[in-house]
Amino acid sequence: MTTPTKNARAEARRKEREEQRRAEVKRQRLIYGGIGAAVVVLAVVIAAVSVGETDDRVSLSEVAGDVEVDGDTLPPIPDGAADPAVGQPAPLLSGADFGGTPITVGDGAQLVSFVASWCPACDAELPLVVDWLDAGGPPEDVQFVMVSTNHDDSRQNWPPQDWFAAAGYTGDVLVDDVASSAFRAYGLTATPSWVVISDDGEVLFRASGMIDPAEFDTLAELAAAG
Amino acid sequence: MIAVAERTFGLLALLAIVVALATIVALVRRRVPDWLRDDVALPLAAAIAATATGGSLLLSEVAGYLPCTLCWYQRIAMYPLVVILAVAAVRGDGDVWRTVLPLTGIGSAIAVWHIAIENNPAWGGPCEDAAPCTIIWVEEFGFLTLPTMALVAFVTISVLSLAARRP
Repeated sequence: MTTPTKNARAEARRKEREEQRRAEVKRQRLIYGGIGAAVVVLAVVIAAVSVGETDDRVSLSEVAGDVEVDGDTLPPIPDGAADPAVGQPAPLLSGADFGGTPITVGDGAQLVSFVASWCPACDAELPLVVDWLDAGGPPEDVQFVMVSTNHDDSRQNWPPQDWFAAAGYTGDVLVDDVASSAFRAYGLTATPSWVVISDDGEVLFRASGMIDPAEFDTLAELAAAG
Repeated sequence: MIAVAERTFGLLALLAIVVALATIVALVRRRVPDWLRDDVALPLAAAIAATATGGSLLLSEVAGYLPCTLCWYQRIAMYPLVVILAVAAVRGDGDVWRTVLPLTGIGSAIAVWHIAIENNPAWGGPCEDAAPCTIIWVEEFGFLTLPTMALVAFVTISVLSLAARRP
């Protein structure tokens, strides 16, 4: 056995220190990783306890209605061009509200608003509509109807009847079916959408998007005059 | 299960806000602890990016929440951060903030606009049936929506990558 040289001893000490440093880094990483994993597990446990069971949701099939469509489907609303549906016969929609009371759209002077409860724009507009109705709403010879459409039980503000009630809307609602047949029959692609129908069942106006509340009266007068 | 996942992401986002604030204080006071700079900042930033990525995929592919256009733009900014930060954490690359900040800056700007139109639905136009950007799929603790959580993740990753800079 030979006696180690001074350099060899220094090299051995350096290697030993390096191994100790690596072991310390490994230990620290394990500690930090363990803390991170513990935090995530704790978050999951707190979440599971705080959320609880939510299996009592009303299903889509329980909410969606049956709608009978009579008439030709209207063309889509064009961007910035004249609406080709104006002057065409409005499809006749026969269905019911959430309580089963029959509702018809397309057979008289009507102002119709197609809405989806999950749609934030509809959610913003509904209180404005309620305020307008509370302030007098349309003339007596014009019926205001909302069509609850594009139902989706995975989205916010479900079920829609609770959404209408929470906003204080107690007027007529036609409940669209699972396939959104009423919505599609009127050539619509987005909510909210507005349709004005004349007394003899012709389309006078269609628009998608929120409407200035000041225009509600104008549209109702259009239906009355048509 | 999805409700539990959403609440978990909400809790982790709250924790991330605390981490971000504490790190910002350390950066402003120029007193970033060695353990944070050398050992924790980059792995934690990588873990946040991975959680955000995994969470977004869980909510779209399992829960069925359709991502809107702005969600996709935020994903484009977030997903590469998982790889970039994981590699930087392994290498101990204190200069990775130069790559991270442009991505988190873009992602944060998009998230801020997304939050703005969530709160002002009229700005987002009418709701297409598929995936309007105004729709609020998740809302935890009254303010943590998905773009809000994304913003928290982008900001926290930003400050952690700055905290990992070598003096």
